[in-house]
Amino acid sequence: MSDPLPQLDPVIHAQARLRVTVALAGLRAADQITFPRLQQLLDMTAGNLSTHLRKLEDAEYVEITKAYEHRTPVTLVRLTAAGRAAFESYTKALHQLLDATGGD
Amino acid sequence: MDDEPMSAEESLNLIAQQNRRTRRELGGGPARMLAAWAFAWIVGWGFTYFATRTASVPGWVGGVVVAVLFVAAMVYTGYVSARAGRGIRGPSKTVGAMYGYSWALASIGLSVIDIRITQFGTLSSDQVSLLWSGTWLLLTGVLYLAGGMLWQDKLMYGLGAWMIVSAGLSVLVGFPANFLVLAICGGGGFLLAATVYFVREKSR
Repeated sequence: MSDPLPQLDPVIHAQARLRVTVALAGLRAADQITFPRLQQLLDMTAGNLSTHLRKLEDAEYVEITKAYEHRTPVTLVRLTAAGRAAFESYTKALHQLLDATGGD
Repeated sequence: MDDEPMSAEESLNLIAQQNRRTRRELGGGPARMLAAWAFAWIVGWGFTYFATRTASVPGWVGGVVVAVLFVAAMVYTGYVSARAGRGIRGPSKTVGAMYGYSWALASIGLSVIDIRITQFGTLSSDQVSLLWSGTWLLLTGVLYLAGGMLWQDKLMYGLGAWMIVSAGLSVLVGFPANFLVLAICGGGGFLLAATVYFVREKSR
């Protein structure tokens, strides 16, 4: 075949990490979200979310910053430019796959 | 359980589902806030106009109705934006806060000016009414122009332009029709904008 089926990025192509990526992509570029708010947007346990964030961070799709606000530690999460680009090519690949298989 | 293989279609469904959820939680758009202001303007200024046409309602009642409705709309707007912005940090939070403070600062400044001019007592009460409706529509218009620039939102910019046209119109038609301009052009402008935003949200 001249046009092989695209590979789906395994970092994103897993239910939990896909949802994390979608939620983060819903923020404006350069905006960050606190860990508890992200948890609330996703209905995930803290442990589960941490695990998946670490995998996304290892792939450099997500940037995690620890900061202090009024002496309280806060964890801030944001999608990196690479993460946003990876998510875009992932959705493009999904559409290509659907077209190739006739959408079923 | 999280690593169950997903088909492309399941994956796209999951994206759409999480997108809807995120958008709803993060505030979606200004439709609801604009609808609250549409209600306050149409009912408040409509009632005030009605009060000028009948002797059965004392003039000050209109002022009280407007004040109550505006405070309620302000509280609602503040609540909705604070709720949507919970846990978000960064440029859009800063811009949103600066925009909110701009409304507060500009409103206080304009109140001082209008109250002072009113107190001189040189203007007739009809002219005072035009001063207030004209300047407040102008301020509203200018701040929506600014909002349109901030968020690169042509609809919001258009709402601002429309409010400035209404400001001119309100002083040209004179008292008491200026209250009708506030209710129909001002409130109607908010209502139209709210409807367009609402339809856009639903169709995405």
